[in-house]
This record gives sequence, structure tokens and C-alpha cells, in this order.
Amino acid sequence: MSGIAAVPALTVDGLVCGIGPLTILQGVSLAVQAREVVVVLGANGAGKTALLRTIAGLITPRAGSIRLFGEAITGWPAHRIARAGIGHVPSGRELFPRLTVADHLELGGRFCTPARRAELRRRLFEMFPVLAERAAQRAGTLSGGEQQMVAIARALMTDPRVLLLDEPSTGLAPKIVLALFQTFPELRRQGVSILLAEQSLSLGLSVADRGYVLDHGRIVLAGTAAELAADKRVADTYLGR
Amino acid sequence: MSVRAGLMGQTRMARIWSRLGGASDMAVAAAALAALLLVPLTATAYGLQLATDILAAVALAYGWNLISGFTGYLSFGQVSFYGLGAYATALLVSRTLVPWYGAVLLGGLLGAAVALLLGPIMLRLRGILFALGMLGLARILGVIFNNWNFAGASLGLSLPAALTPLAVYGGMALVAAAAFACNAFFVHSGFGLDAMSLNEDEAAAVAFGVPATRVKVIAFALSAIFPALVGGLVAWNRSYIDPTSAFKPSLDLETVVFVLFGGIGTLWGPLLGAAVLMMIGEELLVYLPNFELALFGGVVILTVLVLPGGLVGLANRFGWLRRPPVLAPAALPEGAPPAPRAMPAGDVPVLEVRDLTVRFGGLLALSNVSLTLRRGEIVSIIGANGAGKTTLFNAITGFIMPSAGRIFYLGRNVTRLPTFRRARLGMARSFQIPRLMRSLTVWENVVLASRHGGQAHRAVAHTAWVLRITGLAALWREPASRLSPGHQRQLELARVLALHPALVLLDEVMAGMTQEEREGVRSVIRHLPEFGVAAVACVEHVIAAVADLSDRMVVLDFGHEIAAGPPHSVLRDPAVVRAYLGEPL
Amino acid sequence: MLALQLVINGILLGGLYVLLAQSLNLIFGVMGVVNLAHGSFIVVAGLFTYWFTIRSGVSPLVVLPMAFVAMGAVGAMVQRFLIEPLMRFGNRAELLSLMVTFGLSYVLVDLALQLWGSDFVSVPYLQSSWTIAGLAFNQALVIAGIFAAAISAALYAWLNFTLSGKALLAASQSPVGAICCGIDVGRVRLVAFALGVGLAAAAGVLVIIVTPLAPETADDFTLLAFVIIALGGLGNYLGVAAAALVLGLVQSAAGYFLGGNAEYVFPYVLLLGVMVVQPQRFRRAAA
Repeated sequence: MSGIAAVPALTVDGLVCGIGPLTILQGVSLAVQAREVVVVLGANGAGKTALLRTIAGLITPRAGSIRLFGEAITGWPAHRIARAGIGHVPSGRELFPRLTVADHLELGGRFCTPARRAELRRRLFEMFPVLAERAAQRAGTLSGGEQQMVAIARALMTDPRVLLLDEPSTGLAPKIVLALFQTFPELRRQGVSILLAEQSLSLGLSVADRGYVLDHGRIVLAGTAAELAADKRVADTYLGR
Repeated sequence: MSVRAGLMGQTRMARIWSRLGGASDMAVAAAALAALLLVPLTATAYGLQLATDILAAVALAYGWNLISGFTGYLSFGQVSFYGLGAYATALLVSRTLVPWYGAVLLGGLLGAAVALLLGPIMLRLRGILFALGMLGLARILGVIFNNWNFAGASLGLSLPAALTPLAVYGGMALVAAAAFACNAFFVHSGFGLDAMSLNEDEAAAVAFGVPATRVKVIAFALSAIFPALVGGLVAWNRSYIDPTSAFKPSLDLETVVFVLFGGIGTLWGPLLGAAVLMMIGEELLVYLPNFELALFGGVVILTVLVLPGGLVGLANRFGWLRRPPVLAPAALPEGAPPAPRAMPAGDVPVLEVRDLTVRFGGLLALSNVSLTLRRGEIVSIIGANGAGKTTLFNAITGFIMPSAGRIFYLGRNVTRLPTFRRARLGMARSFQIPRLMRSLTVWENVVLASRHGGQAHRAVAHTAWVLRITGLAALWREPASRLSPGHQRQLELARVLALHPALVLLDEVMAGMTQEEREGVRSVIRHLPEFGVAAVACVEHVIAAVADLSDRMVVLDFGHEIAAGPPHSVLRDPAVVRAYLGEPL
Repeated sequence: MLALQLVINGILLGGLYVLLAQSLNLIFGVMGVVNLAHGSFIVVAGLFTYWFTIRSGVSPLVVLPMAFVAMGAVGAMVQRFLIEPLMRFGNRAELLSLMVTFGLSYVLVDLALQLWGSDFVSVPYLQSSWTIAGLAFNQALVIAGIFAAAISAALYAWLNFTLSGKALLAASQSPVGAICCGIDVGRVRLVAFALGVGLAAAAGVLVIIVTPLAPETADDFTLLAFVIIALGGLGNYLGVAAAALVLGLVQSAAGYFLGGNAEYVFPYVLLLGVMVVQPQRFRRAAA
């Protein structure tokens, strides 16, 4: 690990966003260092999805800044942020039901050079062999776990430096989610930093280096995974105690 | 009766004043009335004809406003009724002994009859389809009459000229006045409020007892009468009709332009739009003959892009021509708590859900869920995201049909009953994301539900009482769109109470509230039994807020029930902890 | 032999219908916008072709690419200035775009009336028939049908086999997912609309060599296209192609057995019938 203060992969500072009179994020600040896995925890409605969508550019923030390796990307149009190196796997996956798995990969890698695209595809087929098997199958006919893999693979084909994963465990059995998480070390080795939003406490903490706990649009707790796992207050925010 | 009860205690003038709206409304009405009376006395033959044409346009505009403005179903084929009315009149007069006014009226009734026939079929569809369907209908009718020899085929029919221009003017004035009266009825009546609520959010309206199909069909039938009457009179005015003029394609364009420009869905919009554009049009067309279609098309486009609210929308910004809240008294009365609902004898459970299963395609959202709510119980339903809680509520209230299982409410099998009927029987729900009628005021949102619930006979008093106990009394005239999130949630709750329900289903009602607001809601929930509510079910994420309030807690996970019982023991159940926090690894 | 004749005519007619419908399918599928001006674009292009070929003696097939490009440009401007501003209204965008295109259709029809009058006109191109094996093939219909089918096939190929085409399909199936791939969905909407209008113009050029057109027929084409999409399934390009062929065959037979008027009215009756029996066909391609 570098001793010099390296530029964090992703910095969020004082982010405020809302819809109409409703404020969803009330000034959120966090950082993801290069090659780190950071998890954002919180009960339903805490603002995890809003946070990720704002970083990805789908929601325009009212205040605050977002930096990708030091470069300000606040207020950029979402597709430009995607091309700049933030890969987003949205909640609900948002696949193209009538296009094939191969199409998804092709579209994800649209703005790469053909050589890079081929390289990424090769690596993805290694990581997710199932995708190679089902390459010609339409995404709408895949199982939940396979769809999640396609969504992640598509995001990875954009050759991202930061990967945003929005509640990948929704609707999936824990076993499958763990299998997905087992690809993370390889991703880190390839230089990808990961920001993960998770509702499941144990799943989230099992894979992350550090975590933040979001409650009603604010960060209320932060620390390493080990610290958060031992902290009783985390469970309390979930169970409303 | 309820309205009078609510308004008692005010002077007669104040009552009329508040019903008629403000000074600006009076000004417009006075101007229109003056013009109406002056024209026959002072105008030339040309002027009289123009005035008659303007009145025809006004009548058509008001007719269209009923279905497309208030109720929100854009119709691009009102000319169908116009043509039918014209032909009915011509045929009756030339082939039978029916006097001319009888023929015109019968033409109007024919229009309504056709609308009543087609309405139930076509109004089930989404807006675009209805618009296209009406367009198609107009073309079909044009072709039919073009080939029907009995009706003169493409050569048309001529009528014996028996009416003076003044008589036609008088007739048209009557029709326009009747159309205006109909619109005024919409703007001041519960029926009109129902229609406007459908325009805003049909699913939410139905949840509060609005009989959607019935309202839409009646609105459609009313909107069909006026073009038919106008068609009949125009046939007299011209003494001749043929398919091209009877089913002329530009009629719908003109009508749409007038209403849109004047202000769609408002009381004065059709009048202002028709009068202004007809007069401007007359002037402009002297310089630019034959550009009528392009001009009007251009006005439609510009109005939608630049001034979607039309002239009335513009006036509203200055505080003029605002619509007074429907069924609202001048001041908020005290109101009184309602008598409890009559309940069936015996110990029939309020709600009984048996083996409910809901499938969405391949996804099993609910699997064999059973739940019983007895009188006096407050049950909370908790579970992680996607566990099926809202799906359960949707099935109970009839928003979705279950794949298997049955639902009994007060002993009655309601599994297949339409949502609005369940609401009227006393089953009330709130929505996870508030589905308020944003363009209506707080008062109107609540009285909409009161009218259909257990206190329908004293809706105004009941509405006032509900607003007071939910703390919204000060905001009763505010548009719902301007409420803070906390107040919006309170309004959701108010609508639920307005139905005077026996069963209350609250879907995440605590979300987004401050601690103070939550206390308010908890207090209301505790007092619900006093107001006749027999049982309450809450879906909640803010578990702390309902744990001490509930008699029982039910936990759902992936569509199954995994625990049920007293809250404190359920919250310590390892299975429940696992479901929320995830499997320990 | 009569049956075969009707079938061949029907297939050729169907080829023409495919192009008519796919151009609208593209717009509705990607944007959810009901383009009520669809028919007026077709008619304007057709009437322009008539005017141009009469003046210059050039074959209408030369006019085809001109009309495609010119109308495509017009379509891009319409989308940019009239339709795109409505997208911010969310739910109400659908009905608002209905109104705007409604107004636009009248502007275009009036333009056509000013420039070319209200009479029915047609292009006297290839007025004879080929006779093969005792069957008469109307030359104009053959050329028009084949060209229309070829253009539709090219569209299908572009959509399904090129990356840019797939990007368009992706944007219509899931706008958010497309954004995640870096696709500029706003630009996709522009391209889809412009392309849809350009193809409608191409259809217009081909229609007028087969059948007379007048400004008043604009709405008929709009409705015809919607009927075909309703039958074939929104966003389903193969389904729409099949439906167009079927309708072509049915029209061909109806025209012969029931006479001109029944043929004319048939699409409307079919539309009303489909709407009543299967309204779910009009749901947008699910995201």
C-alpha cells in the first residue's frame, strides 16, 4: 500500500439531492480509495440507491461535489460519466430483455478500442463462464443470478475505474451473491475500485474493506468492516431500536 | 343535502358568491351575457352569422372539455357525434313529421346513445388508444354515410328552409348555455370532482371509491350530446348536409385549439378560447385565406410548448378566474366525529386472508400467506425489501388479482370484487409513495373520499372533522402539490379516514416523517377504534414506531410468512434477525 | 389463377405496408411518442415526388433518397424543438406529444394543400404490367413493393446487426441501462425520430407510384400504420412485418371481393376490433 496520500478513486463531498420538496440526501461525504471495496449500508429508504444514482449522474445534485480520481464530474450528463470510467450496475439491473448476452457485452464495450473490448470480453468469460455458455441467449430469459452477472459484466465492459453496485443481492439467494463477490479480488487486481450499496448487513461487511452506514440521508457511522461488524449500533439503525 | 348542511349559517349572498367564484368570473360572465343579448339587437346579417358560428364553437368546445379537459381522455373524433346529429336531424325532418326542435333534440340523444354504447369498450383503454379509436370512428362514419343511399350518399340531403337566422342563433345560444351549464356542474359537483380525480390518478381515485368506468362513460355521453345538437342546428343553418361537411376533419382541430388556447379543463377556457380565436381568425383569414389549418395547427403546437395552461392558466397567475374548491363551504365548520359503522353480528373477523398466492410471470411474490384480523386488533407487517408486503396490500385491496387463495372482508368473499367497491364497503388503504391528487386542494382530496365512504350522507361535515383531527385544518385550501412531505403523508391518512373505514391498511405511513409527525400519526392510529375502525394493518420499515403500537407482528420474507406473534418476541426471533441482517457467515 | 394473382398483389402490397408501419414502430418503440403526423409526412413526400417528377421528368426512384434525407432533417428539427421539450413532463409527455403532433399534422396537410391543391394525383410511372405465365404484374406495384421491402430489410439489419442499431434497441428497452453503457439516449431519440420520418417519406415516394394521393388521405395512413403495429406487437419488428403482409393479403382480397369502400374502411374496423379484444398489445416494450 502506498504511504503517500494517493488520490482517492472516488470522492463525494457534501452531496445533497432531492425530488421537489423532499430532500433525500442531506449532505453525504465519503471516499473510495483506489482498489478498495467500500460498502454503503442502511435500511430501506435511507438513500443508498439515491446516492449511487447521483454519483452515476442519473440524479442531478443540488449541492456538493463528486470527483473521479480528482477530476470533478458533478453535474455531468450521465452518459458522459459512464464513458469517463464509472460503471453502474443499477438496482433492478436494467437489462435489455430482447437483446442477447453477447449484445450486452458489445454495447457495454462500445466506446473501447476493439482490441481492448476483446481483452475485456475474454477476461469476463473467464470470470463468469456461464456467460460464455449463454452468449446467444436473450437476457429476458435468464435466471436472476445470471441476469445479475450480465448486468455486472456489461458495466465491466465499459472499462470502469470505479464500479457502482446497487443492492446486487436483491432477489438472489445468498450463495449466488457470495459467488459474485468472489470475483471482487480479481477486479481489484485489475485496478477497479468498488462502491457497493447493500441492505444485507452480513453480506455487505463480508466483502468490504470499509463501510458507511446511511440513515435518512445522512452518514451516521463509518469504519472498517471489522469495526462495523462489532458495533451494535449498526444493527440498531436497521431494527429501529 | 350534505352541502346545504355544511353551508348553513352563512348568508344567502355569501353562499352564492362562494359558489360562483370571484369577481373575475363575474366579469367574464357579465361580458358574455351582454354580448349574447346585444348581438341580435344590433348586428348585421353577417354579424349574426359570425355570432352563431362563435356560439357553435363555444358549444363544441364545452362539449369536448367535458371528456378531454376534465376527465382527461383526449378525443380526436367528436365530429362523429356532430355528423350523426346533423344527419339524424336532416333525416327526421325530411322523412317524418317531427318538428325541427324535436329532430335536433333527438339528434342529441342519438349522440349520447352511441357514446353510451361505445364508451364502456373504448374508455377501458389508455388515452392514446381512445384518441385513435375516436379518430377511426369518425372516418368509418364518413365512409358509411358516403355510401348510404337512404341518407343521400355523397350528394347529401337538403332541408326545407324553415328557420330564420335569428331562430338558429337563439337555438345555438341555448345549446351553448346548456353546454356551459354542464361544465359548471362539473366544476361544482361531486361527480365532476370524481372525473377530475380520474384525470389526475385513476388508480388512486378508485382506491377511494370512485366508480371509474361509470364516471367516464357518463362524461363521455354528456360530451357527445353537444356536438350532436350543434350538428343538428348547423344542418338547419345551411339547409343542406353532405358527408364531407358533416364529418369534416377540421372540426376536431378547431375544437381542440379553442379549448387548449383558452385553458383545458377549466370553466372559462372553452368560452375564452373559442371567442378570442374565432374573432382573431376571422380577421386573419381575410389576409391569409386558406391557411386556416396551418394557423390552428401552429397555435396548438405553440400553446402546448409555451402556455400549456392557456389563457385561463395565464389569468390564474394574476389570481383571476381561479376555480373555487368543489363542495367547499366558505369557512371550515367544526364537524363532528361520526357514529361507528354498523358491523355484522357475531365474531366475524374483519379480514381473513387464506392461502394467498400471487405470481408475476415466473416470479412468486406471495406464497400461501394467511392472515386474520379480528376486531380491535392492530397488526404490523414487516420484512426486508421485496418481501411482498405491498403486494399483499395490493391483493387485499384489489389492485392485483391473486393467482390462488381467497380474501374475506367482514365475512364476505371479496377476492374478485373491484377495488372501488371494496373502498365503499369500508376498506381503506394508504400508498407507499403518496398518490395525492396534486392539482386538487387538500379539501377536495379528502371530500372525494368522504363522498364514497360510510359518511357519504354528511360528507362535508365529515371532511371538516377529518381535516381537524389530522392537523390539516389550516391548509384546507392549499393545492396538494404545495404540501411538505410530512403534510402529504398526513393528507394520505386523512383520505383514509374520510372513507369512514372498518379496515385500515397503512403502507409505510411513517416514512419521511419527523419524530413529532410520527407521534401525531401514532396518536391517530391509537384513536382509530374510537372512530369506528375495527382493525388496522400497517406495513412498516420504521419498526420502532409500530412495535409498541401493535398487538401482533407478522414478518414476511421472500413472499412467505416466517414469524408472527407479539412484537417483542418476534423481533428477537433468530429467523427474523437473520432475514433482516442477512445470514451470519 | 385469380387466387394466385390476389396473393402476389397482396404480398407486394404488404411489402409497402411494412415500410409504412416500421417507420412509425421505430418512433413509438423508442420514445413512446404517438406521431399523429406520420401520415402527413408520407403524403407530403408523395406529393412532392409528383410535383418534382412532372417538372423534371426524373424517375421517382431518384427522388427517394432526396426525400429521405430532406424529411429526415425536418424530422430531426421537429424532435429537437417540438418533442424533446415535452420529455421533461414525465407521464404527461405522452398526451402532450399527441397534441403537438396532432397540430403538426394539420400544418403539414395545409402546406400540401397550398402547394399541390386538394385533388388526388399520382405519378405516371411504369403504368404497364408484365405478363408472366398468364398472371399480370403491375410494374409499379412490383417496383414499389420490392423497394419498400428492401428498405425495411435494411432497417431491420441495421437495428439487429450493427452496434449503433443495437444501441437504439437498447435505449428503447431500457433507457437507464443504455445510459450505463455510455449511450446518449437523448441523441438516440433524435436519430430514431429523424429516421422514422425519413422512412415515412420514403414510403410516401413509393406509395404515390402505386396509388393516387391527396392531402386528405394523411390520417388514413397514420391509422393504417397503427393498425399494423397493433396487430404485430409494438417494438416487435418481425411481428409487424408479418402483420403488414397479412394485412396486404387481406386488403387485396377485400378490395377485389367487396369493392373499394370496404377495402378503405377495413383497417379502421380492424383497429377498433383489436383495441377492444386485446388492448395490451399497445403497452410499450417493457424495460
